[in-house]
Amino acid sequence: MKALARSPWICHYNCNSCNGCDIELLACLTPLYDVERFGVINVGNPKHADILVVTGSVNHRNARVLKNIYDQVPKPNVVVALGVCTSSGGIFAGCYNILGGIDKVIPVDVFVVGCPPKPEAMIDGFAKAIGLLDAKAKGLSTPLAEKPRICMVPTVRPEAEAPVSSEKA
Amino acid sequence: MVDVPQWLIIILALVYAPIIGLFLMGIERKLSARFQGRIGPPLFQPYYDLMKLFSKEALVLNRVQILYAYLHLAFMMVTVVLLVLGQDLLLVLFAHAFSTICLILGGMCVRSPYSRIGSHRKIMQMVAYEPIMILMVIGIYINQGSFMGRDVFLLGKPMLLTLPLIFVAFVVAGMIKLDKSPFDVATSHHAHQELVKGITIEYSGPFLGIIELTFAYEVFVIFGVMACFWTTNLWAGLGLALAGYGTMILVDNLTARLTTNWMVRYMWSIPLVLALSNLIWIYK
Amino acid sequence: MNKAIIVTALVAGPVLWGVVAGLSKPAKMRNAFVILGSFFTIIAGLLALKGGRFTFSPGPWEAGLSFALELATILAILGVAIRIRSRPILYLAALQLAVALAGHIIGTGTGGVLEPVFILDALSMVLVLVISLVGPVIVLFAIGYMEQHAHHAPPTAAGERRFFFIMLAFLGAMNGLVLANSLQWLASFWEITTLCSFFLIGYDGTDESRANAQRALLINTFGGLALTVGSFWCITHGTDTLTGLKAAQLVIPMAFLCLAALTKSAQVPFQSWLLGAMVAPTPVSALLHSATMVKAGSYLVLRLAPAFRGTDLMVVLALTGAFTFAAASFLAIVQSNAKKVLAYSTISNLGLIVACAGIDSPLAYAAAVMILIYHAVSKGLLFLCVGTIEQSIGSRDIEDMGGIMYKMPFTTVVALLGMVSMLLPPFGMLLSKWMAIEASINMPVVMFLIVVGSAFSVLFWAKWLGRIQTVSFHPRYTLEPLSPFMRASLFILAVGVLVLGFGSIILYRDILRPMVTGIFQRIPVGVSEWSIFRADSEFAFWPFIVIPGVFLILAIISSLRIRREQVRLPYLAGENVDMKDWSVDGDVLSYSFRTFRDRFEPAWSSSQYMRSSVNEAKIVPWLNMVAFLLILAMFGKIHLL
Ligand code: SF4
Repeated sequence: MKALARSPWICHYNCNSCNGCDIELLACLTPLYDVERFGVINVGNPKHADILVVTGSVNHRNARVLKNIYDQVPKPNVVVALGVCTSSGGIFAGCYNILGGIDKVIPVDVFVVGCPPKPEAMIDGFAKAIGLLDAKAKGLSTPLAEKPRICMVPTVRPEAEAPVSSEKA
Repeated sequence: MVDVPQWLIIILALVYAPIIGLFLMGIERKLSARFQGRIGPPLFQPYYDLMKLFSKEALVLNRVQILYAYLHLAFMMVTVVLLVLGQDLLLVLFAHAFSTICLILGGMCVRSPYSRIGSHRKIMQMVAYEPIMILMVIGIYINQGSFMGRDVFLLGKPMLLTLPLIFVAFVVAGMIKLDKSPFDVATSHHAHQELVKGITIEYSGPFLGIIELTFAYEVFVIFGVMACFWTTNLWAGLGLALAGYGTMILVDNLTARLTTNWMVRYMWSIPLVLALSNLIWIYK
Repeated sequence: MNKAIIVTALVAGPVLWGVVAGLSKPAKMRNAFVILGSFFTIIAGLLALKGGRFTFSPGPWEAGLSFALELATILAILGVAIRIRSRPILYLAALQLAVALAGHIIGTGTGGVLEPVFILDALSMVLVLVISLVGPVIVLFAIGYMEQHAHHAPPTAAGERRFFFIMLAFLGAMNGLVLANSLQWLASFWEITTLCSFFLIGYDGTDESRANAQRALLINTFGGLALTVGSFWCITHGTDTLTGLKAAQLVIPMAFLCLAALTKSAQVPFQSWLLGAMVAPTPVSALLHSATMVKAGSYLVLRLAPAFRGTDLMVVLALTGAFTFAAASFLAIVQSNAKKVLAYSTISNLGLIVACAGIDSPLAYAAAVMILIYHAVSKGLLFLCVGTIEQSIGSRDIEDMGGIMYKMPFTTVVALLGMVSMLLPPFGMLLSKWMAIEASINMPVVMFLIVVGSAFSVLFWAKWLGRIQTVSFHPRYTLEPLSPFMRASLFILAVGVLVLGFGSIILYRDILRPMVTGIFQRIPVGVSEWSIFRADSEFAFWPFIVIPGVFLILAIISSLRIRREQVRLPYLAGENVDMKDWSVDGDVLSYSFRTFRDRFEPAWSSSQYMRSSVNEAKIVPWLNMVAFLLILAMFGKIHLL
């Protein structure tokens, strides 16, 4: 196992989340779950991170910010999307300002489903992410994550589905 | 004593100092986790962290900051070399200060407000602990009649017996040096969210690795100096250093971060008075 | 005769070239003469180095000449005082005139050994080299600078002809000052430097510069009076030379001479004139701060110090100097005006020289001489850099100097070199501070002050360094256009800083140490006094050069390997404004972030000046008071009060 996979530092970006996912993420660091066993540190700065953890959905204003932060994470890196909001917009889908899941802005490697996901699910997601990191560190190409089927979207406005490029933002 | 050639000592010191330093950092992470009721990372986590950082992509803001990362490491290496060669302690102190100054300049040369604030706090940290360090060197001079580090070993009796208060003051100063709470205002190994890593924020990948490596050297230096307070017996010295280091970790876990001004005021009152009274005590 | 030629070349040479330059009206011709004069001064200095030490007495007529010169200068000061309607200066100068006349009438009497009139010994040699190597470089810089300055100088400014005449004459007078052994010659050259500085500070002719020039004249005339009183005292005790004074060990006149030296080298409480002197064009500040004027004071203290070893005067002098060192370094922290920072730094370094002279140890003495040399070169360089930067960006505020690395890389790198040489190894300032601290181990208070002062000085240099080198990523840098004179003189001084820096330990071991042993010859110097400082014999010097050197090379290699794709904007919580165009310095745009309603705000954080807790105007009177009490104590200790 490469050193990269033994020391995955995560940077957490709250992208229009309801804070449920964020609280559960922090729960991972508590004595009960203690993800630091795997060398995970929750850093506050994308430039030090290996895993970008995103919660919440993308809206018109934060798409640019998300892209910017993603650009500041040094390669090789992995993006983990927590919660259904990140895949489809979740309970916010259909709001006037919501664009949808974060995969519209940045490539996502792991989706963790749940609203919010349980810490066990998150740890599982991190384990997957660590595997991907290891593969990326070895120079292998890894596939992007499949979008989970679970969808809480009651109605989706057609214009919100349009893909957003960073230039436009 | 066997006559070991100087270059061999230097190479051994440069190779083993960070290994020991990283090991101590591993112990610290484990111990802190245990204090918090967690299992904590593996003992060798700092090695993995370091190796990972060197394998990552380097993102930079400008070319100048690279220069200072390297110089930060270089002067810390000089410190270690001078220390193991038993050179003039004042010079060791200067070299150590330059290393910190290089880090400060590295933080200042980028146009990032977080990093500049971190740099200024680092400067205030220096203002807070440097007097203690210099008083310690003066105490050692009065104790043994020379500034040379190697003369500590010729003394024949442990320094702790004559300089106990200076030892205490040095442990407090060491906490600032190693960025432990309540003094970790410039950067910290815990405060990722509040300070956004302060002074090192704009370093990433290998350059952050260089800074971490330097930190390992620094841990070694602080640990080694604490051990030198008991020179007559190796185990006693190690025990003393471990006790001092353990105290730092304990206090780190017990206290919260306080403000820069508080730090300067505190350091210029209690530890400084401790060190001064120790000096007055041994001054004839 | 050889000696006569050297002395004349050193003293009269620059003055004569100055006269020629001052008389020539066309700018081209004047510049040519100034260049010739500068080179002549450099050659004279090198000749003096080659000629070696000597003593020189021109003949019996010199006494008359020196007396005439002294009278002429004092009368000139009187004249100036009348013209600028300053009563205090008038009174001081009149008093000085009376004392000088009285001294001349009494005379030394007959008998006694005839002492030489001019002496070129090791200490004078160091000073002569500093004056005649650094000084002319600054004058050369001034040619380029004054062309620019003429465009935005106030209409009241005096002509450039007078300017260059005085600059060159200043060098001659300084050479004379350090060569003179006769007190009368010393006093006359002393007064000439005072007058020169008065004219140079008031060059621009604005209200502010005139007021500051007047203050400089007042304080230095006070110092001149102290000098005259001191020499009067000597004359009544049968000697009129420095060597005679030292042999007779007359402490009281020495105290007066030291007082004069303290005023000249702008020690607290006399610092205000040097701070005011920064209104002058930058080459003037550079000259006053590095090669001339303030060095006269420290030279006099160094000249006298070995003679009063062991007296209480020495202790008080060390305290005064160390106090000035700490106080000035402290005050420099609150400044954001670059020239003011430099001025305070000069004052503090001069304080360190005085303190070292007072520490009463050959080691400290060597440190003092070393500081004198290194300070002259580095500070001259720094002032010239600030002048260049100021002409380019139109501000001398440190906070405005961010990003100049791209706009003027040459000047910035040279300035960085100058600052680093004040701070880091292997440059000599560090070595000398180290020596000073170790030598002062037996004087705890002095040591404490020196240590505290060094910490403060690190603080203000680090702040400035950090600001000046702030820069964004640029694939290419282009050298800024600069007048050839300015570029050449910056380059020469930068090379000087580098050469001296890397030779610092050699300079100490092979030149300063034998020299100081020679100076302390008559007094037995224990081996132990050198042995505290074991740097030269046991110092593992090579790690200090090799390790940073290797890493410097590594750093340069890896910074050259940086590709554009690796460059990112600073972390501003993701709200950065995109960096669009790499070729322009995106000072405003690329470091801005979006605030509410999509407004752009630049990300900015100022340096820390601690203005909230330190009020300069309130602290300075207290510091002055302490220093004043110390000087009173100096006179109290020698039982004059
Ligand atoms: S997934 Fe659920 S818990 Fe998480 S941010 Fe969305 S709404 Fe909140």
